[in-house]
Amino acid sequence: MTITRLWAALLIGPLLLCTLCFFVLPFALLAVTGQGYMDVLHDPYYWRIFAYTLEISAVVTAGCLLIAYPIAYYLIFIAPGRTLRRVIFIIVIAPLFTSNIVRSFGWIIILGRNGVINNALYDLGLIEKKLQLLYTDFSVVVGLIYIMTPFMVLSLSSVLQKIEPSLREAAKDLGASPPVAFIKVTLPLSMPGIVAGSLIVFTLTMGAYVTPSVMSGGKSTVMSMLIYQQYAVSINYPLGAVLAIALLAGSLVVVGLYLMAVRGVEARYKPLEASAK
Amino acid sequence: MSRLAVKVMALLGLAFLLIPLLIIIAVSVTETDYLAFPPVGFTLKWYSAFLTDAEYIKPLVTSGVLALLSTLVALILGVPAALALERSHLEGRRFLSALFLSPLILPGIVVGAGVLQLASQMGWSRSFLALLLGHVVIITPYIVRTTLASLADIGPSTEEAARDLGATATQAFWYVTLPTIKPGVIAGALFAAIISWVNVEVSIFNTTADLMTLPVKLFNDVQFQLGPVISAVSAATIFLAVVIVVFVDIAFGLDRFAVGER
Repeated sequence: MTITRLWAALLIGPLLLCTLCFFVLPFALLAVTGQGYMDVLHDPYYWRIFAYTLEISAVVTAGCLLIAYPIAYYLIFIAPGRTLRRVIFIIVIAPLFTSNIVRSFGWIIILGRNGVINNALYDLGLIEKKLQLLYTDFSVVVGLIYIMTPFMVLSLSSVLQKIEPSLREAAKDLGASPPVAFIKVTLPLSMPGIVAGSLIVFTLTMGAYVTPSVMSGGKSTVMSMLIYQQYAVSINYPLGAVLAIALLAGSLVVVGLYLMAVRGVEARYKPLEASAK
Repeated sequence: MSRLAVKVMALLGLAFLLIPLLIIIAVSVTETDYLAFPPVGFTLKWYSAFLTDAEYIKPLVTSGVLALLSTLVALILGVPAALALERSHLEGRRFLSALFLSPLILPGIVVGAGVLQLASQMGWSRSFLALLLGHVVIITPYIVRTTLASLADIGPSTEEAARDLGATATQAFWYVTLPTIKPGVIAGALFAAIISWVNVEVSIFNTTADLMTLPVKLFNDVQFQLGPVISAVSAATIFLAVVIVVFVDIAFGLDRFAVGER
């Protein structure tokens, strides 16, 4: 059944109007009210914060990949029975349904000066002075990896699930050991999941506000914290708007570069995929 | 061997996901008036403190109403639009889909700042309306996406069969299309409501001491006054999340819901 053009316009109209008024217009407003683009571009202070945000996002993306891949692999290929798989899905998704703030709070209890780790190490006599774990780069990264891992697991498992079982069996039949089969067959075929998951995690981390604020205790600053400060503390909307646009532009550039790099890698794997089919 | 290694790594990863939530729940029943893990004794007094404290109940109600209303608006806007995008030959459909889904990849803080600036230009900043519109913007894509996916899954052929058998377009929609996409739409609506329910980044620009959402309230408290009441509130939201996730699992099968989701 196809819908006539008139009906389509009527059905799409309200959402289009809403999107234009409350999504596109605010952006135009940000771009227009922003003042001092050049000052921001020439100030090393902002570049340092941008570089720090990038660095954190890259480390978090890599960390998520390392933690999520075994979970997704186990979930799709090894976990016996649907019940166990459903339990794993519940464990992966339930955190997504609680706020970032609640989940960061858990890490405050674990990493704090009188937190779970410090108390345990101290009671065991392994340390004499409490370690500064919370409010460091380490806690920011751990907190963000924790928030983002479910997204990576979901991206990876949706791709792993689509891999033709016969390809993995063929590799085994042809005498490939499990590690070789993994590197030559499963890993290349899961590239789309790795790419999609990394993109989601990276862009979400670049824009993350709650977790870095709570886990850094204000001792370090990422772009989103800087933007919020302009609106809530310094009441400097024009500067806040410039920084918001800069964050957006910066993450788009990085995503673009990443996709270009991925295309290069994919071109190398394409022949393999084609010969497998 | 390598299977065992993967299994161990996967279980460690799952423990990593689970332990912080379990620790919050454990801390919420401590009898001490500071955060203690392992908890000392067992008490539910922090839960009753939370449930009798207007400081928490008001934001709780605000967040609940906000999540329900914004999901309702998002459904009214998103489902018809997705239907038209999937089943018409309108020019620029791909562009419109991309436009409607683009709030998904934008930092919430940028959306929040934009809505605040627009609202203050128009004189309704820091109002419930500003909160509602901000939430509608960020959650509608979830509904558009799941509805598009459900429509693409079933394809147009059953609707065409209904039309061939004499159903009007409206009848075909109500009796054929809607029942088949219903699970997808409900799942999308649930996800959208959750995104609204847990949001801090967009809300924080338009909240005040009197107009507060629960996540923003918790965000302020965690930075300035840590205590067992916060762990009771947090634990309560975890229980709610688990109930919803288990419900989704029983109703739709979480594995299908999740893997179709991203």
